Amino acid sequence: MDDDKPWALKGVRLIDLTWVQAGPQATRLLASFGAQIIRVECPVPAGMDVVRQVPPYAPNHATPDGGRSQGAAPSSGVPGNFNRSALFNNTNAGKFGITLNLNHPKGRNLLKRLVAKADALCENYSPRQMEKWNLGYDELRKINPQIIYLAMTGMGKAGAYGDFVSYGPTAQALSGLTHMSGLPDKALPAGWGYSYLDHSPGYFGAFLLLSAIRRQRQSGVGCYIDLSQAETGLVLSGTALLEYQLSGRPTTRYGNRMPYLNWAPHGAYRCKGDDDWIAIAIQSDYQWRVFSEEIGSPEWTRDPKFATAAGRKANEDDLDRHLTSYTTGRERFDLMTRLQHRGIAAGVVQKAPDRVDRDPQLKARSFFVDLPSSEIGTWPVDGFPAKLSRSPANVGGPTGRAAPKLGEDNGLIYGSILGLTAGEIAHLREEGVI
Amino acid sequence: MKVIENLRSSLAQLTLLEIGDQSGDYGAMLFAGLGANVIKIEPVCGSPSRRIGPFATPQQDRESSLFFWRYNLNKKSIALDMDSPVARAVMSRLSDTADIVLLSGEFKTVDRQLKWWRQIAEEKRRLIVCSITPFGLDGPYRDFKSTDLTQLAMGGIMAMCGYDPNSDGVYDTPPIAPPMWHSYHVAGEYAAVTIMAAVNFRDLTNDGQFIDTSMHEAINTCTELSIPIYLHNGEVVKRQTARHAMVQSTPLRLPRSSDGVPVLAGLSPLARDLAAFVRLADDSGIPHELRSAEFEQWRKNDPGAADEYLNQLVDKIVGSISAEEVFIRAQTQGLPWAPIRRPEQNLQDPHFISRGSFATIEHSELGRDLLYPGTVAGDGISPHMSYTCRAPRLGEHSWEVLEKAGFTRNEIEEMARQKAIVAYEVSRGE
Repeated sequence: MDDDKPWALKGVRLIDLTWVQAGPQATRLLASFGAQIIRVECPVPAGMDVVRQVPPYAPNHATPDGGRSQGAAPSSGVPGNFNRSALFNNTNAGKFGITLNLNHPKGRNLLKRLVAKADALCENYSPRQMEKWNLGYDELRKINPQIIYLAMTGMGKAGAYGDFVSYGPTAQALSGLTHMSGLPDKALPAGWGYSYLDHSPGYFGAFLLLSAIRRQRQSGVGCYIDLSQAETGLVLSGTALLEYQLSGRPTTRYGNRMPYLNWAPHGAYRCKGDDDWIAIAIQSDYQWRVFSEEIGSPEWTRDPKFATAAGRKANEDDLDRHLTSYTTGRERFDLMTRLQHRGIAAGVVQKAPDRVDRDPQLKARSFFVDLPSSEIGTWPVDGFPAKLSRSPANVGGPTGRAAPKLGEDNGLIYGSILGLTAGEIAHLREEGVI
Repeated sequence: MKVIENLRSSLAQLTLLEIGDQSGDYGAMLFAGLGANVIKIEPVCGSPSRRIGPFATPQQDRESSLFFWRYNLNKKSIALDMDSPVARAVMSRLSDTADIVLLSGEFKTVDRQLKWWRQIAEEKRRLIVCSITPFGLDGPYRDFKSTDLTQLAMGGIMAMCGYDPNSDGVYDTPPIAPPMWHSYHVAGEYAAVTIMAAVNFRDLTNDGQFIDTSMHEAINTCTELSIPIYLHNGEVVKRQTARHAMVQSTPLRLPRSSDGVPVLAGLSPLARDLAAFVRLADDSGIPHELRSAEFEQWRKNDPGAADEYLNQLVDKIVGSISAEEVFIRAQTQGLPWAPIRRPEQNLQDPHFISRGSFATIEHSELGRDLLYPGTVAGDGISPHMSYTCRAPRLGEHSWEVLEKAGFTRNEIEEMARQKAIVAYEVSRGE
């Protein structure tokens, strides 16, 4: 336990009843600032975080004293071993881990004892689960009147859809974010290739928790936060709602183009390689002239219809066709470097290997952080994207490691916080409570 | 649920000075939503974000940008000639009572500003100065030009979003950058989180600090499975139409409702989802064999046939009623289904209305109110984040802010005469 660092959240304890991605994302950020995050997990597979039980897994050859140095390999997991999930290892870095069966009356009693000694609780179970256990905010507030309680659900617990269930993609579809993403001439949207609304709500959850913790530290007041992933999607829908109210026109898709500024070309263009692309955004007539010069002023760039921003915008299909004929067959990183040296916004459409193994910026700023885990060894995890001069974020948190093994800290947490003896802890394990 | 302490004005004691371009607007607005006093310091020609469309009026002037309206609620605007000595005198005075300075823009611009703010912070050690730049304040790409599009490209989001390859397995459409402004969203959210951590640290130590937020790194944290799969399995995910990018292709399941809307209507292998689907099938009135021995046999011996039957039944049920009816009926049975709505369809949604998801903002210049998406969370009764004031006109609060900072009326009038400030009362009379 690393108590010597200048942590912003020194002394803050949060009971973490989250699972999958949105909730764990919020508490991970607080661990990065030194909060003691106690991840509470069901000890039996049926109630365990599903992320522990689905791919991607660390390769089967990964050992506690090894890790990435042993190499990557496809894996379908080790049956009965719930400590090898690659996503879980990343999303739960810096947290303590205990097991607790909340279907057992003694389990619920233990949770209440932990809440009594905590500052905050975060959960993202299905909407009424905590109330079914008689562990909702009203109940827990009786035990700890200052508690901050963050509930994260797809729709939000209050409101007409308070009982509805959701994953990230459900909230994305409902909010409009899925509809907005894609090409205008396709019948279907492209949508999102992952659960964006499992990420941003996590960041919002952290922001609201940090604001609430500050107030709690100053005035001893707790609060209840009912966070909705779908509502977050509305906030992230840009100017679409305002545009609709003023124009009455339904929201449409426009691919990678820029409908709100006279920027053209503006898109992704095929390069040499297997599905390799570069994004280019020309923002002025000056940039267009520089760009044309850099690519050798081929005849099409001298066509008067492309001379002005308005002209390029009006002839964007034609422009994109010509530009693609130039970029196809050219090496994407070389082209990005050349254009950037001329002051043009150009960026390779980077895939994971580009970001992990090549991106010199991420390397120079030590973005990926190697963290040990007690089961699969040392692997890089996402770092924290902001550097603080006095109280640096550290994604290893107070534990200095990646995610905990299932129940890894039972002895430490039940012993140090609740004062249970080794014998009592062993007995609870035998009873199926932890 | 009893009345609970709301977070609405929990940051009311904090003053944040915001200086920069469009990449900082959203992050600063989050503080304004929790009651912080956010003062936007603009150049006399107006913040760059005033030039981003769409626009409310055909004139497309600096007071009609919907981008600016959207991302600058609850803020005050003071407009200064940034090259005049007045600007530094004003900012120095404002920093006496400010808690946070948020700078945003390209590295060169922010770096120049930071030199000055570092001097100020030597005397005012409680000041928290946060920058949002495209790639951070150091590293080989720090001077790279960037836009929302190129950020989503380099950060890994675009490679995961787009359409399936053609029947030959070749991608004939480009990766897609989901619109709009998500690089600013993600960076702004991280900046807000980090600033609040620094505020908490200052409460413990009395020390402010500098924060260097990299948009590129922020986006790199926001791609879910992509990095873990590559690191651990050495495999690269591929984009697919309206579903997660994966190493191996997964089936596209977006049946259309009777009114032609694609509906997210997947069935997981979980027993509870199948039970919920049986209830939905019963409720739909469409004959089915889900309780038959034959279906049970398929499930045990021929899962492919069982899946095919289930998918056909899903299509039939979804195709028999409207998208909104599918949504309510499926969710009532416990299935996480949803129609692919357009954003504006939510404006009349009873759930969001009852939660107070939209803030009603008066726009006297339009003679009407507009609804803005305002909050992400409530206390069970009302929203935690509260937006009540439209985005400010350029220099609208120059008088108020300068007078509060201790400048006299004569001094302010002199600044206005020198055109060192835009003070709304004065410019309105011009």
